[in-house]
Amino acid sequence: MSTVAYITARGLFGRRRALLLLPLPLLLVGLALICEAYDVSPADWGQPVVVGLGLAVVLPVTALIVGTGVLGSEVDDGTIIHILTKPLPRRDIILAKMLVAAGVTAVTAAVPLFVVGALAESVRFGLALAVGAVAGALAYSALFLLLSLLTRRPVLVGLAYILVWEGLLGRFVSGTRVLSIEQYVIGIADKIAPSAILDGKVSLPVAVVMSAIFAVGGTLYAINRLGSFSMAGETS
Amino acid sequence: MSDAGVIHDIGYQRYEGPRLGRAAVFGALYQHGLRASFGLGRSIKAKIFPWLVVGIVLLVAVINAAARAQFDVILFDYFEFDSTISWLIIFFVAIVAPELMSRDMRAGVLPLYFSRPLRAADYVGAKVASLVTAVFLLLGVPQLIMFLTAAFTLDGGIGKVWEEFYGALLPGWAYSLLWAVLFASISLLIASLTGKRAFAAGGIVAFFLMTTPVVGVLSILPSETAQDLAGLVSPMSLINGVYIWLADGVDLGLDVGRFGPIYGIEAFCLVAVALLLLLARYRKVASL
Repeated sequence: MSTVAYITARGLFGRRRALLLLPLPLLLVGLALICEAYDVSPADWGQPVVVGLGLAVVLPVTALIVGTGVLGSEVDDGTIIHILTKPLPRRDIILAKMLVAAGVTAVTAAVPLFVVGALAESVRFGLALAVGAVAGALAYSALFLLLSLLTRRPVLVGLAYILVWEGLLGRFVSGTRVLSIEQYVIGIADKIAPSAILDGKVSLPVAVVMSAIFAVGGTLYAINRLGSFSMAGETS
Repeated sequence: MSDAGVIHDIGYQRYEGPRLGRAAVFGALYQHGLRASFGLGRSIKAKIFPWLVVGIVLLVAVINAAARAQFDVILFDYFEFDSTISWLIIFFVAIVAPELMSRDMRAGVLPLYFSRPLRAADYVGAKVASLVTAVFLLLGVPQLIMFLTAAFTLDGGIGKVWEEFYGALLPGWAYSLLWAVLFASISLLIASLTGKRAFAAGGIVAFFLMTTPVVGVLSILPSETAQDLAGLVSPMSLINGVYIWLADGVDLGLDVGRFGPIYGIEAFCLVAVALLLLLARYRKVASL
């Protein structure tokens, strides 16, 4: 299991590919620092930076790239067969991949969010954002990991979820919020450190339970899918 | 038949018909690119995503047109239409650009293409042209639907229809073309960097999405210059700015102040640089 995790991590980071993950968090912290340097009130810049960029773009896009990268790219170029033919329980493979994906996403998103939150309001707010981001990273990673087993085009389905479901519908149709991970993250962070920047629309129990359902349910279903996984050639 | 030195004549013949040149290759690539954009001639799986976007966009246009025809309410005009569906345009180029660029790299057909009388400029030109056409169709056709609905319900005869066509639809189409050119060149450049469609799609979306909130932040900085220049950061607001400058005072919800020309220059430079980088990218292609 540790070997699978090691190989997966090297697949993500090898050949300086880790640098590709840097611009998003740097932009997040950079913007917060610029606003701080110009003495803009956090009440003004908090909303666009923390929610508009951090929770709506950095967290889901990082999770999408990492979550589909750990498994989807191996399915895509067929190297997954090397892991599948080893005498390893499929459960261990999924758990290792999930661990790497969620860990990388959590670090990439939670650290800059903590810095931004601490700059915007208080260390407590920063911690709240970081906790929310970790919960979100688990839920998103499980979802995108599952997607890369369910469909041949996991990135596009994931993008449709982020752009259309959370982005477009989440703004106009309030009912979709119950199934939006972004709203869970906002709900959790808002409960830990209430602030004017965040506007949690789902209650804490709903947010926690639903994120757990996404994370655990997604992982379990992914294990089930990998158990009866069939290799397919290049299609469409 | 039995010349000296010939052991077996197994009947291979040389092709002696007309040979089509660069123009034909360009035309074929363009046509194939345009068809591939919408998954035409491919399996149903390749059609799902482009036509999902097309369906939503058409739905938005029809709702808008119906609201105008029935209740005389204009939800958004031809310009606002483009901005309203900007996220869907991002999604569309994230689907199509990797399809046009990354697939060729992945399938290893680039050396085959370039062993024909095809230059890098032709290849890049054909791909850009087909994506520009595809995005323009995505925007222009719904605008045409909105116009046709308006034309049949407007009171005031042919003069009013002409006014709507000349004063509203044509500028709207020009605006859509601007969107198409900018989005196509940038997304194709990103897609040409990797052979993996998944990474290319993620990169395109990350680029377009992460620039948008920056505009929101810069526009609240306490300097008027910074506020007027904020729109330069994101392609979407850049296009808005260019049009505000060209149309001189159209209100698209962005303040460009006296920096209009800078928006125009940046848009031009952005497209030019993206195309030049694409050309540079295809000066040499790896065989694998």
